[in-house]
Amino acid sequence: MSRRALRALLLLAGASVLLAVWAFPILWGLLTSLKTERDVLAYPPKLIFEPTLANYREVLFGSASILPNLWSSLVVTGITTILTMLLAVPAAYALARLDLPGKRSGGFYVLATQMLPPVGLIIPYFLVLQRVGWLDTYQGMIAIYLTFSLPFAIWLMVSYLEDVPREMEEAALLDRAGRIRTLLYVILPQVRGGIAVTTIFVFLNAWNEFLFAVVLGGNRVRTVNVAMFNFISVEQTLWARLAAAAMIAMAPVIILGLLAQRHIVKGLTVGAVKGGGRR
Amino acid sequence: MSAVGRVKLQGIVKRHGNVTALHGVDLEIAPGEFFALLGPSGSGKTTTLRILAGLENANEGRVHVDGADVTDVEPGERDVAMVFQSYALYPHMTVYDNIAFPLRMVGTAKSAIDSAVREAAAKVRIDHLLARRPGQLSGGQQQRCALARAIVRKPRLFLLDEPLSNLDAKLRLETRVELRKLQRSLDVTTVYVTHDQEEAMTIADRMAIFMEGRIVQVGTPDEVYARPASVDVAGFIGNPPMNLLPGRIAADRLHIGDHMVALGRDLGAEREVTVGLRPAALRAGPTGLPAKIDLIEHLGDTKLVICRAGESMVKMRVDKAASFRDGDDIRIGFDPGEIHLFERQSGRRL
Amino acid sequence: MARSSDRPTRERRERRFALVLFLPAFLVLAIGTTVPLFYLLWASLWRIDLSMPWLSGFAGLENYAKMAADPRFWNSLGLTVIYTGSTVVFQVVIGLGLALLVLRIPRGQAALRIAAIMPIVLAPVVVGMFWRTLVLPPDYGLLDLVTQALGLGSHNWLGDPQLALVSVITIHTWQWTPFSFLVILASLAALPPDVFEAARIDRANAWRRFIHITLPMIRPAIAIIVIMRMMVALSAFAAIFAATGGGPGTATEILNLYAYRTSFTDLNLGYGAALAVVLLAITLLVSFLMFRLRRAA
Repeated sequence: MSRRALRALLLLAGASVLLAVWAFPILWGLLTSLKTERDVLAYPPKLIFEPTLANYREVLFGSASILPNLWSSLVVTGITTILTMLLAVPAAYALARLDLPGKRSGGFYVLATQMLPPVGLIIPYFLVLQRVGWLDTYQGMIAIYLTFSLPFAIWLMVSYLEDVPREMEEAALLDRAGRIRTLLYVILPQVRGGIAVTTIFVFLNAWNEFLFAVVLGGNRVRTVNVAMFNFISVEQTLWARLAAAAMIAMAPVIILGLLAQRHIVKGLTVGAVKGGGRR
Repeated sequence: MSAVGRVKLQGIVKRHGNVTALHGVDLEIAPGEFFALLGPSGSGKTTTLRILAGLENANEGRVHVDGADVTDVEPGERDVAMVFQSYALYPHMTVYDNIAFPLRMVGTAKSAIDSAVREAAAKVRIDHLLARRPGQLSGGQQQRCALARAIVRKPRLFLLDEPLSNLDAKLRLETRVELRKLQRSLDVTTVYVTHDQEEAMTIADRMAIFMEGRIVQVGTPDEVYARPASVDVAGFIGNPPMNLLPGRIAADRLHIGDHMVALGRDLGAEREVTVGLRPAALRAGPTGLPAKIDLIEHLGDTKLVICRAGESMVKMRVDKAASFRDGDDIRIGFDPGEIHLFERQSGRRL
Repeated sequence: MARSSDRPTRERRERRFALVLFLPAFLVLAIGTTVPLFYLLWASLWRIDLSMPWLSGFAGLENYAKMAADPRFWNSLGLTVIYTGSTVVFQVVIGLGLALLVLRIPRGQAALRIAAIMPIVLAPVVVGMFWRTLVLPPDYGLLDLVTQALGLGSHNWLGDPQLALVSVITIHTWQWTPFSFLVILASLAALPPDVFEAARIDRANAWRRFIHITLPMIRPAIAIIVIMRMMVALSAFAAIFAATGGGPGTATEILNLYAYRTSFTDLNLGYGAALAVVLLAITLLVSFLMFRLRRAA
């Protein structure tokens, strides 16, 4: 009995360490964002301090407000997500269910495009956007973001669509729904969950993207990730303010991540089974 | 009798890659008929139904309904309704919406839809469940819902793919009777796929028996039972199916082992045959085929006596009052008129 | 018999519908990934130096010849191998160990799963910045506080070349181990319990059960993790970029960083393109080998 108790205790301790290692840096960031700059640099570090929202006020409404950057991120990510889903769902349906000519190679092609490392593509993207004058524009960024969102979204949707029983579709066809209405009224309502999860993942990936944003963006279109990065490289770093900005930038992905929590393993492995993630 | 719903399949061939699932199926079904496609799994009966529905394309052959060639017509435009083995109810819709769906898809007026849905639901007695979702229904109720969805549009052809196989045994027997009554009252040509010969025998007006991608016999249940066209059919129909023994004929004599029977008709030159004998046609008597009882199964109102005759096993259905014991030596007698003879090589009926 | 005329009209209608659904996405991918790929190959044959535009011109294989004699390229290649290999091994080994541990915890698994998701959903660039500003700085960084408390002294985690490489490997491992942990945990939880009960009845001890039953049964999951994590490690960029920028010097400059710096810091796009071509070739080769291995297994 006592050996058992000891083992349980050890397990618990191990789990707590684990929890701490993953959660602590984020909690530490949260604490830092609520400190004054003086408290941040205090040694030994203060665990008890007077929390302040001044950093948040400053990064949102101060001279170097990140609100325009949040807006840029939202526009790029939002439109990318919508366009991606509009293109990916029909394509996934064709791959999952229909007699698409060259289906196997089509599927493999989508998969292969997902494996290209972004650094490999950034040079042609830069040169082309420069030539057509789309550097630092929303349309340029969104066009490029589509290229890495689409393959992932297509494969994730294929895996959800494959789970819909084929007979359901056949019943709808016999019920005179025709192909388009079968897709809209019978198939899609059954993969609502999958569509929601895919949308969340596409949004997450686009929101977190950095390389394309820093190279292809500029003064007009600067996403929040790029703005934060400039924070540390340009000014003498103000830790607390940076932490506050990071907290704001992280909030959407953490909320979405928690919402999609149950599906995250599936979402990540679909990318894995059928190819590679692209960050 | 209904005037529409005449089906004609001509030379249907279906290949999946290198495997041929159907080797040229020809079939005619009359309007208003309750027609069963019977056969073991993988025999091609479901594929035939799906080709008739338009869910699969035949590689060769034509499909005609009411004289019109519908081979190239989309399933939705063939005016056929189908009940799937899994029911394929739309899980995100209520029972009402499920039944209304085929009517909404052709833009039927709302009031007409409402009365049609209620009428169809009442026919299969699920009118109290219209607000539920399929997930909240029992298996039997789901099956009725699928039936209602199929009958609501008054199709000219009603296709059922093993509709009872997901029900438990008792419910299956009840539903079988109801299905038959429903078909009678609707007077719609019905094509019914099943692997259960008893189901086909009890429910169908006529049936086609499939074996390995071919139709081996078409006929009424009585015809199929009385004159199975081949050894395969003989071994498939009846419960238990026919006893099949090796034999030899010469002129008007049949030899089963050392036992000899006079056939009363001349069948020509000496050759090897398979002899078919229904268990119910056998009786123990003073003369006949010598056998030894292996086992006796009690079936309630009858007994099944399983015995060995030479190398073969013979089942005999006898009255429950008959007194036999394991190990008894008996002689099995039968009328020459009850003998079915099949050519040994081809399996065809003589 | 001609194939197309052999097909029934209904089949042709379905194919046309399928094409209509698939083509828009296909075109976006073709224009967005395949055309740029050829453009990249083409660009790698040119001298494109934005800081010295007058020198631009066709260069043939000059960029590739230059690469062979470029010690910085070979350094970056070596770092890429070290970075990819070590992060993948750590992720799998630590992830597996943690999953086995957590599986035995009767309660609180949900909380752990949530904690594990946090790093995964964060932007790598944010993670890099976090570690750079909150975890790794000497004296007041989280890690330094821990090492000092343990009497191991203070270290310049990102300033010392060797420690910097260890640090970026640690950052990547920290962010992505939860992924392998979650996937392995899910596949462990899905294993049929009766197999283990049978093994127990057959008197196999815990270690043998692990080696002979658990490991073979989750091998597919591990193969998937290895493939995917290799791909991601090969395209890793933002976290290192934010934490060290490839430095100090070239201590953490993996091939990705080198190609980026050449193209967008030195503005030598032609040479950068050639480096990117090599990177793509390596990625494709590795993925090809991985899928071959997985199919063979």
